[in-house]
Amino acid sequence: MGHGTPEWVFIGVVTAILIWVGAESWQVEHSLEYAPPNSETVRVIGQQWFWSFQHADGTQEINELHVKQGVPYRFEIVSNDVIHSFNIPDFAILMDAVPGRVNTMWNIFDETGEYLIECREYCGMLHMDMRARLFVEPNTENSTSSTSSTESEPTISQGTGTATIVSPGGSEVGSTGTGTMRVVEPGNLTQTPSGGTANGSGDTSSNGTSGDNATSGATAGGPSLSIPAGASTPGNPSYSPATLTVSKGDVITVSNDDTAPHTVTNGASPSDADAGKLFDTSIIMPAATATIDTASLEAGEHPFHCTVHPFMTGSLTVQ
Amino acid sequence: MVLELKKPRPLWEIIFSTHHTDIGLLYIIASMVALFAGGGLAMAIRAELFLPGLQVFSGQADFSRFFTVHGTTLLFLWLIPFAAGVGNYLVPIMVRYKDMAWPKLNAVAFWMIPPCMILIWAGFSDTTWNAYPPYSILKAPGPAADMWIVGLKILGLSSVLGAINFTVTMLKMKHPDLPLMKMSLFCWATLVTSMMIIVAIPTFAASLVMLYTDRLGVTGFFNAEMGGDPIAYQHLFWFTFHPEVYIFTLPAIGMMYEIIPTFSRKPLFSYYSGVIALVVIAVIGFGSWAHHMFAVGMSFTEKTVFMVGTLAAVPSSAMHVFNFLATMWGGRIKFAAPMLFAVGGILLFFSAGAGGVVNTAMPLDFLTHDSYWVVGHMHLFIMGTISFGFFGFIYYLFPMITGRMYNTKLANIHFVLLFVGAVLVFGVQHILGLYGMPRRVVDYLPIPELIIMNQIATFGGWMMGAGMAIFLYNMIKSTMFGKLADTKDPFGLGTGVEYYYDYARREPHH
Repeated sequence: MGHGTPEWVFIGVVTAILIWVGAESWQVEHSLEYAPPNSETVRVIGQQWFWSFQHADGTQEINELHVKQGVPYRFEIVSNDVIHSFNIPDFAILMDAVPGRVNTMWNIFDETGEYLIECREYCGMLHMDMRARLFVEPNTENSTSSTSSTESEPTISQGTGTATIVSPGGSEVGSTGTGTMRVVEPGNLTQTPSGGTANGSGDTSSNGTSGDNATSGATAGGPSLSIPAGASTPGNPSYSPATLTVSKGDVITVSNDDTAPHTVTNGASPSDADAGKLFDTSIIMPAATATIDTASLEAGEHPFHCTVHPFMTGSLTVQ
Repeated sequence: MVLELKKPRPLWEIIFSTHHTDIGLLYIIASMVALFAGGGLAMAIRAELFLPGLQVFSGQADFSRFFTVHGTTLLFLWLIPFAAGVGNYLVPIMVRYKDMAWPKLNAVAFWMIPPCMILIWAGFSDTTWNAYPPYSILKAPGPAADMWIVGLKILGLSSVLGAINFTVTMLKMKHPDLPLMKMSLFCWATLVTSMMIIVAIPTFAASLVMLYTDRLGVTGFFNAEMGGDPIAYQHLFWFTFHPEVYIFTLPAIGMMYEIIPTFSRKPLFSYYSGVIALVVIAVIGFGSWAHHMFAVGMSFTEKTVFMVGTLAAVPSSAMHVFNFLATMWGGRIKFAAPMLFAVGGILLFFSAGAGGVVNTAMPLDFLTHDSYWVVGHMHLFIMGTISFGFFGFIYYLFPMITGRMYNTKLANIHFVLLFVGAVLVFGVQHILGLYGMPRRVVDYLPIPELIIMNQIATFGGWMMGAGMAIFLYNMIKSTMFGKLADTKDPFGLGTGVEYYYDYARREPHH
């Protein structure tokens, strides 16, 4: 022996460590494999470049997910276009959203607070901004008093409206190390400006747009349309003004004061037969502007929407 | 001695040469051009990430193009051609044959590389080097992505031709007096690598064709809307590119097997364990590809199988490390630049390997997957281990190829900057990953921890950039004006052993 003995000992030790690592991993992973039968199902839909969530009771949320503490949740993760990866770093939740597949992952959120949801798989132009917020709320339904559960009713049914309740003011004041991350969008409901004087969405949004204040459109003589900050949250004003009246031949300047990309595309929704055929600005990046030439439009009312956020609608009347 | 540059010849004679040393030199020069080009992109990427928000790039689109070309260039135009170049230079000498088995095929394999370089750089694709569908087939802008596909297709062909040539040279053309089990470990590493290339590359070559026809819209192999499966591509991709990790690594291991006994002035601890470890990893390396895909929604059984396969590949790497350490143990070590890079490489190899075990443990993978941890991990291998071995070997071969000596002081500075830089960048990137920073993002959340760690990483990156600038200067200056090397014993080891390979003892008539 002699010469070879130390090598065999070394290889033996390495192999033993590896077997231990493997066995531990197997055991942990095995215990996580099946979701508890009483878990609530949330459908997570990844799409360039936002997340939407469908709860079992039909509530739908966009870029915000409200869950209750201590309740097992089972996520069904799907994608509408390319591969995304649904990731909540603080809870080690990671599962790819693959077109044509339904992947599942489950978790019990044990601490209340606000957490980051992000996309971990490269998905294109705005991959880095594909973030959402997770709100873990105290589970009041477990308490004995029935009144408290009715009190919590509006909090749940209001969906995204709870943002201001859960995290009043700038939500960046975090409590735990890696836990709380400042989230870029959407802006705070109470601060949402109504007109074109939008200034990003306050100081909470130092995101990729280099923080420049969006110049509101009305610099040129023509009519202007602006997308106010916070427009990517359903319920907020989506276009300002929502109904725009111009005379034929005007060139409309569209300015995006929000922190997410938007479009102004004709049609009441993406499923309209002629959606995008009359006018379409294509993606307008945050703080960027685009123009719509109305010279070729017929007189009358033309509804429009945003292809990225189909719940954003407005109407254009050409005289 | 092979003093190629001491005999001035017209340029066309080198370019149209089919001699193995000429082609080896062309490979090495081409790969170093790619190294500096791809490294320049890395500097821009690190500059952008110095602060959150956008500084250098106008947005994710440009940034994606940069990291895609950075990855593609350094993996396929630096690592593979450099290993092929050194193999070309040394394998015929080591097996004592006059040239490679098919010299003209050898020249053809090399001359396929420059067009690929042009295709990849002119296209500047944004698919990432993985080019996962459906992004790469539905959304990635052409013609960049198409040029990338064609470029990689030709590169794969070039690799396979080169690998066939190496295999035949070693198995059929070696000197009759040289048994297989007396062949140097560098030759063994090249032989094993070549065989892995022949088995692994065709899978990816096939999936590139499928990717291209999918892009044209005539097929739907990977398009869910047409009944295909995007995950099928990932399986094909990683069936090639997990073994490819070893295809990148083994030549560097082989180079360390040349450097370490020489500079330890001691024979190798165990030749057999080196050969066994090389052969074993070549087989086991094919059984672990899907550990890159734990998060795509695999079943528990699949995950277990691929975790076991990955863990099984670790002991053979540990055998190399043991072999290196046992060789150095009790040796009179001379820390010249080649040895510094070899030892630094072993250290980082060990760290990277330990990180790899963390990646493959199933529950932990869900923490690290697609985060900066993975970026740090793969760069620790590719830069910290493989490229360190390559740089060491460049210094080792420098007197042999040029007949001159490099500037030893600059070489040592190069090593220190690179080593400290690598620890800073890639170590910190591991921690960034645990903080949840996704990879491939142009912008990150302005959290103080992320900012400070990105700044440390960028600082380390610039240190490495400075080291590489010094390296470039040293190479050019010393090639032209360096002091003439003592070709018998350029590193002053003084053991009376013939350090360089016996150029004259080759079979003259074949």
